[in-house]
Amino acid sequence: MLVLAANSGHLITYFQAIVIGLLQGVTELFPISSLGHAVILPKLFGWNLNQKEPYYLAFLVATHLATAIVLFLFFLPEWRRILRGLGRSLRDRQVAADDPDARLAWLLVVGTIPAGLIGLLFEHQLRSLFANPTAAAVFLMVNGLILFAAERLRRRAPGAPERAEALARGDESATGPEAEQRLATLGYREAVAVGTAQAAALFPGISRSGVTMGGGLFVGLTHEDAARYAFLLATPIIGAAALLKLPDLFGSDGDGVRGPALAGAVCAGLAAWASVKFLMRYFETNSLTPFAWYCLLAGLAAFLVFVL
Amino acid sequence: MRNDRLLAGLAAILGFVLIAIGVIYIAFDEHNIPSFFPGHSSHASSHHHVKHGIAAILLGLACLAFAWFRTGPRERPANPA
Repeated sequence: MLVLAANSGHLITYFQAIVIGLLQGVTELFPISSLGHAVILPKLFGWNLNQKEPYYLAFLVATHLATAIVLFLFFLPEWRRILRGLGRSLRDRQVAADDPDARLAWLLVVGTIPAGLIGLLFEHQLRSLFANPTAAAVFLMVNGLILFAAERLRRRAPGAPERAEALARGDESATGPEAEQRLATLGYREAVAVGTAQAAALFPGISRSGVTMGGGLFVGLTHEDAARYAFLLATPIIGAAALLKLPDLFGSDGDGVRGPALAGAVCAGLAAWASVKFLMRYFETNSLTPFAWYCLLAGLAAFLVFVL
Repeated sequence: MRNDRLLAGLAAILGFVLIAIGVIYIAFDEHNIPSFFPGHSSHASSHHHVKHGIAAILLGLACLAFAWFRTGPRERPANPA
């Protein structure tokens, strides 16, 4: 294997970079926690990668940025409408009742701010505390329980059953302005609650997309709309977090890992594209339950391996 | 209406203050920021609390957005025919 970080004393081979990139692209969007898998799998493979070292964090910046770019491009028509709606609302100084794009834009803004603030202020401390494989395995099991609970408590929030009924009667178009119209039926408080839940993903093993999809189901969205909302909500926060740390990749922390980081980013991007395409079709007719079982069993298996 | 204006005014002032705090966090190292700022260090240091700065600026922008919409035109309910 090619050793590419020899001058900094660390080892990230191209093979490892490709595997971690593919893993990141898939697990960031599937509701099964990318951070949890990034902590657990290298340990299971016996790879000597220190998750807390600056070079590894610099490497992860590239894979996250690639995932955010792919998400943005996948939903580009939606983002165009949302950004236009945002501009209209700022110009008119109001969110018009008949402008679902503007409303969705502000739902995403109010949903992103709390999670962004929590991430900015506590990400480092939480990562330092819990970025160990045993803790990640436990949190992965907790993530499974959250997904089970989300399915069980579906449409239990006040007003959620009425919304669900109204949505079921409405246009069934999966994409386009009709889909935004359905998402724009969320209230601002619900958007803040669902958005804040994203912060739970700072615990390795808890999935960002899992908790936001679960939150969407709880307030009456369909699986497909909850997934779309989760992906739209994830894009700015993943992108901003990656951009914030991008200087690390091009600074001394990135010495020796830029080549593998590029390979990992390409793989993460390809995997993310395939994942989001698959998941948007999958959630047309399916539920979170298989992912809940996977998290519970994989978390339990990893926990037993690390403890016994 | 008067309360609305007052609230918007306070939000605007708070927004500008938070943005100023954010700029100070980003521009000055932790030794040179005011001593009452969280994260101040009494020892010489070159570390900048960039994340604190971004968080303060984000909150400031949110306050300004609130004030902007609060003082905007109110949507009137449609007249029944």
